[in-house]
Parts: sequence; structure tokens; C-alpha cells
Amino acid sequence: MPLRIAEFTFLEHLSTRYGIPTPRFLADSTDRIRIKKALEEWGGKALVKPDVLAGRRGKEGSVVTVTSSQEAIRELKRVSSTEVNGGIPRLAYLVEYIPAQMEMYTAVQYNTGFLAPSFTVSLQGGVDIEEVAEEAKVTIPIDIYRGLDAYQASEILSALDCPKSLNSLLSRLMISFWDLFISTGMEMAEINPWRITPAGGAYACDFKAVIDEANYKSKIPGLVFPEYPDNKTDFEEEMDAWNAASHRGQAHVSDLNGDLILPILFGGGVSTIITETLQAAGGSPMFLSDFGGNPPYERMLGTAKRCFEHKLGEAELLLILGGKANNTLIDVTFKAIADALISYVEEHGPIHMPVVIGRGGPRLVKGILSLKQTLDYLKLPYVIFGPDTPVTGVAEYAARLANAARKLKEENNEGEVSERPA
Amino acid sequence: MRAKCLRDLLKQNDRIAVSNITGREASKVSYVSQKYSPNIIGGWALGKGGEQVESPCGAIPVFATFEELLRSTPKSRHPNKVIVYSPPEAVYGEVKEVARYGKDSVETVFIITEHISIEVTAKIHQICSQVNIDVVGCNTLGMINTHEKVRVGAVGGDTPEETFRPGSATIISNSGNMVSTIATYILTAGIGTSFGISTGKDRLILFPLKDFLVLAEKDDHTKIIVLYVEPGGTYEHEAIELMRKNGFSKPIVVYVAGEIAERCKVSLGHAGSVVEGEKSSARAKKEAFDSYFGIPPFKPEKRYHKTEELKASLAQGIRVTALHHIPDAVTLVVNTLGIRKDIGRTRPLRLNPWFVHLGELGKRLPAELALFPGVILEPYAEQLKAQEQTFVRSFIRQPMRNASHASANDGKIPRIFGYSLTDIMEKRSFTAALILYWTGELPRDAFEERVAELTLVASLTNGPGTISAQGAKLSASAGNTPNTAMISTLSAIGLVHGGNGSRAVEFLLDSFVSAEVEDPYAPFADVQEIAVKAAADFKKRKMAAKEAGFEYRRIPCLGHPVFRTDPVNFDPREQVIYGYIMRAGRTNVFLEFYHLLAQALKDNGSTKNVLAVNLDAAIASVWLGICWRKLKEKQMSVNRAVDIPFIAFALGRAAGGSGEYLDHNDFGTEMDMRVPVSECRTLTKEKQLPQ
Repeated sequence: MPLRIAEFTFLEHLSTRYGIPTPRFLADSTDRIRIKKALEEWGGKALVKPDVLAGRRGKEGSVVTVTSSQEAIRELKRVSSTEVNGGIPRLAYLVEYIPAQMEMYTAVQYNTGFLAPSFTVSLQGGVDIEEVAEEAKVTIPIDIYRGLDAYQASEILSALDCPKSLNSLLSRLMISFWDLFISTGMEMAEINPWRITPAGGAYACDFKAVIDEANYKSKIPGLVFPEYPDNKTDFEEEMDAWNAASHRGQAHVSDLNGDLILPILFGGGVSTIITETLQAAGGSPMFLSDFGGNPPYERMLGTAKRCFEHKLGEAELLLILGGKANNTLIDVTFKAIADALISYVEEHGPIHMPVVIGRGGPRLVKGILSLKQTLDYLKLPYVIFGPDTPVTGVAEYAARLANAARKLKEENNEGEVSERPA
Repeated sequence: MRAKCLRDLLKQNDRIAVSNITGREASKVSYVSQKYSPNIIGGWALGKGGEQVESPCGAIPVFATFEELLRSTPKSRHPNKVIVYSPPEAVYGEVKEVARYGKDSVETVFIITEHISIEVTAKIHQICSQVNIDVVGCNTLGMINTHEKVRVGAVGGDTPEETFRPGSATIISNSGNMVSTIATYILTAGIGTSFGISTGKDRLILFPLKDFLVLAEKDDHTKIIVLYVEPGGTYEHEAIELMRKNGFSKPIVVYVAGEIAERCKVSLGHAGSVVEGEKSSARAKKEAFDSYFGIPPFKPEKRYHKTEELKASLAQGIRVTALHHIPDAVTLVVNTLGIRKDIGRTRPLRLNPWFVHLGELGKRLPAELALFPGVILEPYAEQLKAQEQTFVRSFIRQPMRNASHASANDGKIPRIFGYSLTDIMEKRSFTAALILYWTGELPRDAFEERVAELTLVASLTNGPGTISAQGAKLSASAGNTPNTAMISTLSAIGLVHGGNGSRAVEFLLDSFVSAEVEDPYAPFADVQEIAVKAAADFKKRKMAAKEAGFEYRRIPCLGHPVFRTDPVNFDPREQVIYGYIMRAGRTNVFLEFYHLLAQALKDNGSTKNVLAVNLDAAIASVWLGICWRKLKEKQMSVNRAVDIPFIAFALGRAAGGSGEYLDHNDFGTEMDMRVPVSECRTLTKEKQLPQ
């Protein structure tokens, strides 16, 4: 997942370095004297903003104008603890109010149409760019080696009928913005809005960016990108750490809050399709997983153990499913899953749930035998499919089987629907 | 775009060069690709110039750089296709080199590497466009041209011919895995594949869908296109716009995945799947296709009537909402439009369980859920039959009183791990049979068999004075039978004498725990580093123990009581084994490690001279090499790998002890092993029992 940053990081670490003027700001302070002094210096008016990753321009409701230190302190406390579009703010900060005669939108991003960076400008700033009419915005491709030239910026502004008196200043600021983008390994950066004061000054008044962590330029000395509090479950957090622990084999999960099927899925594309099919068929998958990428034994063992530890106790059915692998060794991955299952039973006692398996790929037969032998040993009911049965067909079947198993369990007072190990 | 038709991207007689060809994935995939179609003319890898990569069609030469590859190859053989397998940080440099030196011959570059930064991807696009080289990727799995039986990358896995039969469909997919999956599915509709293409799944797809469609339009084999699409980018919108503008004569069946990303706000496995703008969402892509096709998504239960309206819509295509609807949708399209099927008799796509064991649950399930085992297709059925005979899963314990994986006898033929003993007797050696019996697998080649045999021969004897030989002689002297003499030999070996090989295996496993040795018989770059680290660890341990006044743990199998006085010492028996390995042009990474370790211990001052690597080390290294693959794949327990060298020595030495017994029995005198009283010393003063 690409790393995202918001205005506060821009204000703290980036804007000054690249010569982009911004409003003055005050963070992490409920010191009445400091706030009062700041308000006086700023003309008596400021905004309280949450430092949050809000996606689209959804922060508006939580951005509050304040005119006194008392009001500022109250709002700083309130805003810092108020969720914005499901995101929890890292903190709230006070920022100078900039009066504006005009607002402007700018963004730089890699454009899949041009297969190059592109620069977008509109003189209708402060709103989502999708809402701006096509004729009121301009997007041009940028030569990745030459970068954005001032004359290009100037031409765009002229095309948008920007007042001539602002053309030079804004063109130069766009170059600074490009420099920031290209020097820090960003995938996308947006300044929206620039507020242009009646006196002719321009200030970047909101910012968001996506950082490409694969780009070495994103490793900026002395700058640690902030981690935003999120609503991750313990399971997701543990799996994130485990995923980051090695580059061999993916171990990414996203909790879906399902309560029926524990899915151990393989392959980015296939795992998405299977999960969608499970949901559509009422299989209520517990999470979205993608464990492909030819994980070595230890990696897969660790992944499966973590999934079982967090979820197996609540699951109605264990689904191990993937397409026909090109590289992933099925015997290695299946043996690891089998061993994780045995170790779960050794630790927690017998389990009673059907297991549905579907897979194809190198050393498939050995892998299936390995899992089958384990399931026989654990006396778990199972159905195993080969690559000739479509994955989505298996997923649909698993969803129906899980629902039937739950129904039988509910009918059965003892809550047992499978054979007990001898 | 340089290519004028799809086969310009990949065709028979293309000359392919592979970057980082000595890497794990590149060498493995190249091996299979050469078997399918021998078109790789060479590879390059920094610092690996002069090496070779094995393939079924002969060794592939490895050069240090792409420029050297060009210099060393006749112009007529210069590569026109390049596959890049280099690590992400090296890809930019590799592509720049290809663009600089290869612009006269290279037409297409396939970039397999993932995790390349988007900035580098954009730069690659620009420099390659400037020299008119097409780029497929980054993060593509590759491409296959089925009619001309040629592929690049790992499309189709180890058996591309199994999945890809020549036919009418071009499959274009954001996911590499789905290329093979869809090819398998459409076979059940009687449709084979003309081209299977993995576009790559990074945010920037450098050969976009619209370009593939332009080429597919001109391909005579392609009658229908099957697309697998994920969120991210606006490639599909651009393609649809182009088709609307210029017209497109071939029907498309499309599956758009990834709406879950929008609904559940979760990230997908693919970098390109990050949903950013509304247009790049799965929902927008679905709507765009539906609008272009002019027909609602395919419903398998619906009866479609062959009206002109339906024909007109299906001529554009149709979207499916479930992946397994693709064969039915393809059937509808080909039947309605009169496209000829490629394969006559086909099996419909349906649930075909290979194994079912639902037990008590099965009895209570509705009939449609209580499945019965179906038919296991070839080649799996045959593989299964073969595997079931020999399959060992050693880690599940069970009562073994009347069961064995290692041997069998059905009253007619005794077997070792499923192989007929009589067949082995007729066709294989004793050593091959032993390897089978101990590891569950026959030796992989004559080299392995011979080197194992050398360890057995070397274990026979080290002269009559060894304590194991003394055991046999003592037994003969006492008038025992041969079996007792052999037992005496065996009882006189232990962890100190003879069994030290087991400790050596444990030590080797500790030392190589995090090293990724794939083939112990191939050179391994990090072995020197591992040896130096082991020597440093030993030195630290020794110093600490000395300071604390404790005895320190020795490194097993280094040093020899006889061969120890020269500056550099050798055990002659070990040298025969080592020499044989060298002469065979192979290596044994563990034995190599031992030699480097002996030197490293001298270099860091732990030892005064270079200790001899003794026979036990050689036995341990050889047998660990034999066990390595199964051990690494967890198909063998560590205990077994530790025991085998001990057993190998014990077997050789028991045979040697028998020789001593026979000799002693013929020529010795009764009780001649008795030590005369005059030679015995007392170390205790005489004492009197108290009255």
C-alpha cells in the first residue's frame, strides 16, 4: 500500500525546503499564551484542522474557524478526537487564516494515459477536481527527464485566463511544486487550494501526497513519515508486521469482519475474485488474503499459524484456494499449512469443520497428498479439487457448504457436525 | 509502438536474451522455456561472465554485461527480445544498457521484475520509446504465442503445452496467474489460445490494452478476446474509446475484478489496483464495457435467442460477473457469431472433486452439497498413482508395527519405497539402492551415486588399530560368530569415533540456516562469508570459554590425530572424495565450506595451522548434499539427515570389521587379544578388606 501524507507533514518538513509559501501554523499546543500570541500575529483569525488521511476533500466538516484562544483550545481538543470519514486524526493543529481573492488547484501525478507524469491546474481551487468542468482545467504531460518548465506553467495559466499580474509568481511556485514532487519520490501530490490574497501573495493551503516507497528518493534523511492511527485489528497489525518481515511470499490480509469462512488464498488477482465470489454467495469470508509469491516453508508456516491463531476458532469452514500457480511450489505451501493445522490442534485441541481445497501448479500432487494425509489424521471432513474445477465454482460451493454446516451446527444441540478424532 | 502485429512481440525464431539469468527465478524459468521452445541465445549477470546456465537444449552462455553479450555474439544472432529479471534497483541500468547498445536489434523488452519505482517505470517508457523499443510490463509474467509454440517468462508454469493449446482466443490479463487459469477454462468451451499475455500489474502498464487490441485486430488466429481486468488506470476507457472511434471487429469477453476494493476500502495484492480516480475503479470499468457492448452482463441461466440485435451486441462482446461463466459466455459468443471451435470434444467446466471425505457431515448435508469423487485428469492421475506408492509424510506419527514407507512385500515382489527390488537388482547398484532406502528417492545422477559410494568405501577401514577394527578382532579372538564380530565393530563406534558426521550435519545445518542454497552441487556465492562467520563465532566462543575456565565446544570433523603437523593438513581419504567432486566439474557447498572454514580458523588465529578436513566431514557433506533438496522442502526430517552419515559410516565400517574378523579368525591364535598381565599397570594401591 503506498504511503500517504497530508498537509501537516508538508508544513512541518517539506514546504520550506522547496520554497513553497504556506500559512503559519502551530501544532501540539494548548498553551493559551502561545495561541493568543499567534492569533494576534495572524490577524485574529485561524483554522483548526485535523491531521488525518481523509481521502477526498472530506475534511471540510472538521475544519473550524476560530477567533479566540479559548475557542481554539476547545476546538483543538474536539477536532483531534473526532473521526473524519472513518479516519482517526493523528493530532489537530492551528493554522493561519489566509484571505483570498482567488483559489487555484494544482496536482502532479503519474498519468496512465500519458505513461508519464502530468500536471493539472485549475483556477477553481478548493473543490474536488472531478467536480470542475473539463474546460476549466488543463492537464499536460511532463517530460520525466526535463521536468516542468516555467514557460509550460505560464502557458497553462494563460490558457486558463489567469490574471497576468499573477502569472510569473504562480509559474515559479509550480516549478517549486514539481521540484518537491520529483525530489521526494512521490506518485501523486496535490496542493488544493492555493489561496491568492488580495495583496497578490500565494499560499499553499492544503496538501496531500502519495509516496512511492519503491523510490529511493522517498527516504529523506531526518524525515520519518508519520504513522496515522487506523482502525486496524490486532490480526491485521500482526500480519502487517509479519508481511514486512520478509520480501519472500506475500502475507497481506485485510479484515472483512466475516464470520463463516477462513480463506487461505493465493494470488493477487485470484484471491480478489474468490473473495468477491464468497461474498456474493453468502460465504462471509473473514478476511481478504493473498499468500502467493512462492513463499518458502517457514514463511507459509508462520502465515498459516497466525491466521489460524486469530481466526480458526471462530470459523465454520477452512478454505484453501488458489488458481494454477506458475511459480509457487504447492507441496511446500501445503505442507506448511498442514503443519500449522497440526500445531493448532496440538495446542488448542480438536477442531470440527469442513475443509475445502482447490489448487493447481508445480508439485500439486505431492502437496495435495500432504494435506489430505493431515486432514485424515485430524479426522476433518474435506473436499479437494484440482485445477480443472474453476476457483470461483469452488468458492461458491464452499460458501454453500459453510452455510449448511452452520445450519446443522445450530440444529445440533451439542454443536458438532463432524467426526471427532478417535 | 514498434510491433505491427501480435506475433511481432513474440514469434518462433526470436532470439531472446535474459538479464540476471543466473538468478533463482530466471534460471528456473529459462530452463522450462528452453524445453518448450529453445530461443534463449544467452544471458547476462554482473560478475557472472563466463558461467553457464543449464538447459535441456544445452548450456546457455552467461556474459558479464549486455554489451559483452552483443560483442561475443555474431550480429545475425543478436537478440531481438530481452527479458529483464534483475532486482528492482538494477532494472533501470539494465534497460539503459539495452537501449544504448541494443537499439539496432532489440524490438521488445519484457520486464518481469516487480517493485520498480513508478519514476523509473516512466523513465524506462521514455528511453525505450525514443529508440523504438516496445516494453511489456513492468511486473509482467510474460507472454505465450501458442501457434508458434514459444513463450517468454513463466506463463503456463512448468508445463505450458498442457494449458495452452493452439486456438482462437487471445487472453490479455492484468494478472499473470489468470492468463493460465482462463486458458484452462476456455478449453472446456472448445476454444484454444492464440496469445496469452500478462500485461503486468504496476500502476503504469507500459504496453497498454489499446495497443494490444490494435495488434490483436490484425492477428489472423485471433477470433475472440478474453480480458481479465483489475482496478487502476484508465487503460480500458482508452481502449474502448479507440474501439468506438476506429471500430473493432473481434468480440471481447471480459471479467472485471476488484470491486471489493471500493466496497470494503481495502488494498489489493496488486500495486496497480489502488483505486484513485473514479474512472480507474472496477465499477467505472464495468459500466464502460457494458455501455460499449450494449448488452447486460452474461447470465448463465438465461436463454439467449439468436436475434440480429444479440448478434450485433455480441460482435462487440459481453461481460461476465463470475469467472467460471467465461466458458459459457465464450460458447454463446462463438455459437452466435459462427466462430469455429478449435477443439471438438470437450468436457464442461463443473465441480470435479478429486478427493471427498465428508464423513458424518456428508450424511446430513443436502444432496447437492454431498459431493462424490470425480475423475482425476491426466497427467495428475498417473502422478498420483506413482506418488501414492512412494509418498512419505514423516511428521505424522502413527502405529508403525505393521507399516512401512521404506519397504513392502505383497507376497510376490519386495519393494523399496515402491520400487521393485528385483528391478533394482537388475538395473541399479547397491549404492543407488541404499540411497533410495535411506532417503526415499533414487540418486539424481551418476555423480551423486558415485560420490556416495566413495564415502562407503572410505569408511571400510583406517587400519587394524582403530577401535572399531579392534572390536571385531576382540570378538574373533574370543571365538565369536561373524554377526557378533560385526556387532562388536558397531558397538565400538560412537559419537566420538565414526559418528562425528552426525554432529557435522548439525553444525552445517546451523551454519547454513539462513543461506538460500538451492543446489548444493552448484557454486554458492556466500559460502566464504558463512565460513568466515563460523570461524569468528568459534573464536569468540573459545575466548569466552577460556576466560571462564570452561571447556569449549570444538568444531566437529576438523583435524585428524595423524595428519596434523603440516602448515596445511589433509586427510587423504577426504582428498579422494574432494578430488572426485572437482574432477566432475561440480562442487559440494558443505565440503567447500569446511575447507574455507579450516583456512578461516587459521587466518583469525584460532588454530596454528590449517587443520585437515577429515573423512567424517566429507561423509557428512556428501550425504547432506544428497538429502538437501528433501530437507529444504520439509520432505525429510532433520533427524534423518543427521542420522544418515552416521549410518553410512557404520555400514562401511561393519563391512570392514567383518574383513578384520575373517582375517583374525584364519590367522590369529586363541585369546590372542588378551593383554598379558605383565603389560597391565595398576593405578591403585593394594588394600585389605577390613576384618
